[in-house]
Amino acid sequence: MKLKICGMKYPENIQETAKLLPDYLGFIFYEKSPRFFNGELPEIPKSVQKVGVFVGASLYEIRNKIRKYDLELVQLHGNETPEFCALLKHHNVEIIKVFLVDENFDFEVIRPYETVCDYFLFDTKGQNPGGNGTAFNWEILKNYPSQKPFFLSGGIGLEEIKMIKQLNLPIYAIDVNSKFETAPGLKNIKLLKTTIAAIVQMSLRPVLKKNKTMKYNITENGFYGNFGGAFIPEMLYPNVEELRQNYLNYTNEPGFQAEFQQLLKDYVGRPTPLYFAEHLSAKYNTKIYLKREDLCHTGAHKINNTIGQILMAKRLGKTRIIAETGAGQHGVATATVCALMGLECIVYMGEIDIKRQAPNVARMKMLGAEVRSATSGSKTLKDATNEAIRDWINNPIDTYYIIGSVVGPHPYPDMVARFQSVISAEIKQQLMEKEARENPDYVIACVGGGSNAAGAFYHFLNEKVKLIAVEAAGKGIDSGESAATSVLGKIGIIHGSKTLLMQSEDGQITEPYSISAGLDYPGIGPLHAHLFESKRAEFMAVTDDEAMQAGLNLCKTEGIIPAIESSHALAVLDQKKFDKNDVVVINLSGRGDKDLNTYIDYFGL
Amino acid sequence: MNRINSKLQEEKKLLSIYFTAGFPNLNDTVSVIQELEKSGVDMIEIGLPFSDPLADGPTIQESSTQALANGMTTKLLFEQLKNIRKTVKIPLLIMGYFNPILQFGVEKFCKKCIESGIDGLIIPDLPLSVFEQEFKSVFDRHNLKNIFLITPQTSEERIRKIDDLSYSFIYMVSSSSTTGSQNSFGTTQQNYFENIAKMNLKNPQIVGFGISNKETFSEATKHQKGAIIGSSFVNFLKNNKIEEVENYVKQLV
Repeated sequence: MKLKICGMKYPENIQETAKLLPDYLGFIFYEKSPRFFNGELPEIPKSVQKVGVFVGASLYEIRNKIRKYDLELVQLHGNETPEFCALLKHHNVEIIKVFLVDENFDFEVIRPYETVCDYFLFDTKGQNPGGNGTAFNWEILKNYPSQKPFFLSGGIGLEEIKMIKQLNLPIYAIDVNSKFETAPGLKNIKLLKTTIAAIVQMSLRPVLKKNKTMKYNITENGFYGNFGGAFIPEMLYPNVEELRQNYLNYTNEPGFQAEFQQLLKDYVGRPTPLYFAEHLSAKYNTKIYLKREDLCHTGAHKINNTIGQILMAKRLGKTRIIAETGAGQHGVATATVCALMGLECIVYMGEIDIKRQAPNVARMKMLGAEVRSATSGSKTLKDATNEAIRDWINNPIDTYYIIGSVVGPHPYPDMVARFQSVISAEIKQQLMEKEARENPDYVIACVGGGSNAAGAFYHFLNEKVKLIAVEAAGKGIDSGESAATSVLGKIGIIHGSKTLLMQSEDGQITEPYSISAGLDYPGIGPLHAHLFESKRAEFMAVTDDEAMQAGLNLCKTEGIIPAIESSHALAVLDQKKFDKNDVVVINLSGRGDKDLNTYIDYFGL
Repeated sequence: MNRINSKLQEEKKLLSIYFTAGFPNLNDTVSVIQELEKSGVDMIEIGLPFSDPLADGPTIQESSTQALANGMTTKLLFEQLKNIRKTVKIPLLIMGYFNPILQFGVEKFCKKCIESGIDGLIIPDLPLSVFEQEFKSVFDRHNLKNIFLITPQTSEERIRKIDDLSYSFIYMVSSSSTTGSQNSFGTTQQNYFENIAKMNLKNPQIVGFGISNKETFSEATKHQKGAIIGSSFVNFLKNNKIEEVENYVKQLV
């Protein structure tokens, strides 16, 4: 649902309101209105469209205002005829025709305007030609006979918006004004902010997108700065190219989004809470919020991505699903969605990991997946990925490869980041409710390949938010047993992507080490390589010991057993000093059930 | 003229053999090449081993792992090939994945190839677009041929583009698969071979993947200029002495 904020009057206030990125800002050019606008227009973002509101003005008058203020739409409140509207159309504006509604309203009157107007607007019939500040009985709109999109106006505040949600009417946009003012024409920015957040929360409106240069986003060729691309053998080209051409179209389809959002809500259990960790905050003397991805179905953020990709696979008409897995979390998340959709599922897993992660192997089998042992190379995650890619080469027609992280050839890193971006979208909304601000001071997340970090960072990449990516230092960066790719890696090619990776001088990919099975990938996603190189994110390394202590600390202070991956992010609290007033969001990417054996061995429990 | 291109003008079906450098033993590279030429092979692809060979099946994967364990490196390969042109006349190509070449330095790698008498490169994971934008001029400057792959899934439009960008031969992957042996080709593959031949490309095609014996060799070369044998030969080397290479080659043609 679109949002129009009407009755703008004062330049500074206009600018503040425009920053909230409503779809439309309305300026009233009716002298008798207390909100009559006659000043100079400050600069407002391009995505915000300017609507001129007129009551019985002449064509000449309207035309002058269109030119002077560069209006994109004209809203007509008087007795303008269809012919008048038709003439106005020549001025390259969209036309909103207003109808004042009471109990006796007859929808027949709108019929002659169907062909000459772009939108209708229904306002309450009262003393004034608009802006009466009261609502009419909206039930009447259930009889709306037209296909033309319409605006709803008249006394709309937050309570009314909740009613609108319940009524489930085909409303194109709501038009708000007097209920959001401290004086006529002066909008209450704070109230608007919280209301917009509430509208987003009610799924009536997508998260606002800022219309500015997205310097950390992917280019058309699939590069983040120097990193990314699709370095794949020709055998994979048709499949990857098919995906590249379609992934944005499919994910932008309303039907896809509706299905994706519904599954995230009802199946995964989203939104996951943004939990204010009071005891942890007291301990570290700062404000710590935990984004509870550990509460997702299957126990980690991984399922956000597999839900998205299984819908993609279905749209592409694929019937056989393959995936790689290290610790088994992505394998379980893939097996889960395949069970849900009734698709064949084959998960490649390193021979060594199969032995280390027996419970997850059992889960995948229970979910109906076939677990194939990768016996080549070092027999762990990178080799499981190689085997999955080889499978795809051998089965190019019916098979879809669900990659588990923001790695692999373009478009995978971008697609997976988009599916995971629900994490940061929710953080924004939830912070608005809790702190009346969209952006925290810090977002902290662990990075193996980097999917949970990509999701937690996504909507903050172009904001003034400090991002901290935490890598696994294993037994220490210089120990020879580490997974701190940003420190130990060099630029190269792994699994079809140009990125930072751990390799020998000769370009052979080396095996990383971490106590956490989800962080021992020899590369990092190209987005993270770019964030590292451009210094947009601070990269920190946390050892096995530091992570294990931080995990135990969370158990004792907050009663949450985290995955060892997430414990790496938590360990930053011991390494970095935060200000007392800082809002620090830590992405708790997964729960610790799968790591019990490691915890037991480590702490001798 | 580049040795590959003169060879392609010969009035015969060409037999090309792939093997992994440094396999089965680190210093076998030169003797395998010499033995292959002596046995009448037309062209040789020297595999530069890589830790993560995505397009290869188990046989070549294992030979790569073994070669790396033996101590094979890019630098060492060029050492071994330093004097190869004193004894070997047939075209030599290096087939390797892009990362080791990138780490060595693409320009330096090309230079070393020419110094050693290498005529062409097959880099399966170097995409067409990146080659065109970044490396074509380097290859051209050194008169080094870059060989592109096509597969049964490659669109006609893309095949034409690859044909345009190629100046020697096109590596035609026989089927949708990683490297490895097949006993014979089915009708789908034979139709594919024929259809490609009908496209009248300016570059001749040499078929690879799945060729292991006389039957598959003759099927693959019915419409095409030649065929490449890889996994089957690597397997042979694993189990036999280098001096027996001649017997292996004889039973193929």
